[in-house]
Amino acid sequence: MAGNGEILLEVKHLVKHYPVTKGFIFQRQVGAVRAVDGLDFYIRKGETLGLVGESGCGKTTTGRVILRLQEPTSGEALFETRDIFKLGKEELRRMRRNMQIIFQDPYSSLNPRMTVGDIIGEPLEIHNLARGKEKVRRVQELLEVVGLSPYHANRYPHEFSGGQRQRIGIARALAVNPKLIIADEPVSALDVSIQAQVLNLLQELQKEFGLTYLFIAHDLSVVKHISDRIAVMYLGKIVELADADELFSNPQHPYTEALLSAVPIPNPEMRRDRIILPGDVPSPVNPPSGCRFHTRCLYAQPSCSVDEPEFVDIGNGHFVACPVRPFKTQRSKAAVYRPAASAANS
Amino acid sequence: MAEPLLSVRNLKTYFYTDEGVVRAVDGMAYDLHKGETLGIVGESGSGKSVHALSIMRLIPSPPGKIVDGEILFEGRNLLKLSDEQMRRIRGNRIAMVFQEPMTSLNPVLTIGEQIAEAVILHQRLDKRAAWERAIEMLERVKIPSARQRVKDYPHQFSGGMRQRVMIAMALSCNPSVLLADEPTTALDVTIQAQILELMRELQREFGTAIIMITHNLGVVAEMCDNVVVMYAGRPVEETDVKRTFHDPRHPYTWGLLHSVPKLYERSERLIPIEGQPPSLVDLPPGCSFAPRCPFAMEVCTQVDPPNVPIEAGHTARCYLYTDQATEKDKEAATAAGLAASARSRGV
Repeated sequence: MAGNGEILLEVKHLVKHYPVTKGFIFQRQVGAVRAVDGLDFYIRKGETLGLVGESGCGKTTTGRVILRLQEPTSGEALFETRDIFKLGKEELRRMRRNMQIIFQDPYSSLNPRMTVGDIIGEPLEIHNLARGKEKVRRVQELLEVVGLSPYHANRYPHEFSGGQRQRIGIARALAVNPKLIIADEPVSALDVSIQAQVLNLLQELQKEFGLTYLFIAHDLSVVKHISDRIAVMYLGKIVELADADELFSNPQHPYTEALLSAVPIPNPEMRRDRIILPGDVPSPVNPPSGCRFHTRCLYAQPSCSVDEPEFVDIGNGHFVACPVRPFKTQRSKAAVYRPAASAANS
Repeated sequence: MAEPLLSVRNLKTYFYTDEGVVRAVDGMAYDLHKGETLGIVGESGSGKSVHALSIMRLIPSPPGKIVDGEILFEGRNLLKLSDEQMRRIRGNRIAMVFQEPMTSLNPVLTIGEQIAEAVILHQRLDKRAAWERAIEMLERVKIPSARQRVKDYPHQFSGGMRQRVMIAMALSCNPSVLLADEPTTALDVTIQAQILELMRELQREFGTAIIMITHNLGVVAEMCDNVVVMYAGRPVEETDVKRTFHDPRHPYTWGLLHSVPKLYERSERLIPIEGQPPSLVDLPPGCSFAPRCPFAMEVCTQVDPPNVPIEAGHTARCYLYTDQATEKDKEAATAAGLAASARSRGV
């Protein structure tokens, strides 16, 4: 499943700020929501890179900016060495044949007035891939690939359940034979029994068509299951990136460690040290200075609030943005819940 | 064992809609003891929330109606009480925390006013004492600088803090039963961990019995003593938390456990439950899980299975454990089920 070494997508210093304006007619910018603030990562051909983080950490924005569904503030995104951000309108349209997205909400991401056949067939027409009978044949083939039936092409989205709609969304993404699929929380709106069906489907399709995935999700168990490598985001930055197994067995960033320990495990006999982080995630409008995690970090040093940590490789492609890198001996101390420290954030 | 605090017996809540009768809850039954945490697990549409609203007698009627059953709370049948008597219990002796902390608080009242309202109504405290109580409750749920924050409006709080406020409000009258309907589903995992820890602490302190309604098996494993698994409005399996996870007997429970990815185990493929949950308007005859069940026998598609005691404190609604199916059929079904799971594992 893992990639063959060749890099398909490389993102360099990706930044996306949303302006915060004041005034009604004469709007002036008074600040910026720093949704994504300097990301560096790459995805190899055929691999799955998981992007995890809590709500508001910028993971969805990252996916959308790479596809230029939103324009980046700065940075580069090299798709097979071509910078997506420098493409003209027509070039971008052609480039989108290579990159598709699957959205989170299967209820709002399908046009209710189009039949399933039209929804899946539309990208085929836009990219001049198939028309008429050929298009119909291709749509039916795609429906079968995602586990639906050819006769479903004449139905409307409301006639389908959540899991089936997500399959339609996947078929639409597959229609143009893309190389990269950005899956933005593709299973979080689904019930667990249906979730497993869709995850299995995504893995089968990857094997069959040699797809590369950027898999964005907040559910760590799901990300661990499907990813080869995982990047953990916090407030617009990647704090740690490593092979999936390495990240879970040997987390180096205090945020990753806390995040992993917070996931409830479906095994009543498993008792773990739980690290309960104080407080809430700070606002990305005014992120903390230095390391953005220092306000909630249980190992924070005075220098953490001043120096922005560097994102360094500590060996075997395990990247981490924490110079303190506390080790496990300190864990027992950290497991103590500190209610006094849970500062208000408003 | 002592008398149960809350005992639900054969509860049936139906909704009469234009499309037909929706049997949202159809024969729910369990006992809840003092200080216990009972998990109600199921997927969307399994009737877990409707069951909670039935206990609170908050089912909108029409179209909903509790058509049968008993809800015995401290020996009294809640379904027989007058509205006035029920009002004295609701929010006072039995309180509820809802899933959406964003929509279940009133946006035009301060946090303090909302907590105090319940206290004034139920505990007959005067305004000043109720206000002090509100501050005290906010401190209990670890809202920093509670004395200032009590004057804030809900929009000034984050999601996790709003859920703390909901818990403060629910516990302000010191209820003996807390119904928590997906209390952490809308929250991030680090905030979820905070809220679960808080609920455990408060339970130790107040001895409240909690009914934890969730679809998250991890939350069940960490919080609950006993578990009822629901499917299509019916309880299909009930036992303690250890047996739920290590010795599940109903094929649905088994399927549910296998369809979630495990954080600390490596598996190439998940074993999903094939198919879709049935429509509650048009339930299949016999066991409602039969169309998706890899172990289904002929009898399963004909008559509803009985609730079978497996051993003390463990029941499952499945023909695999009855005499109504022949040994030969059961063996064949087991073989078919195991073969199906091996297939989906890709073996």
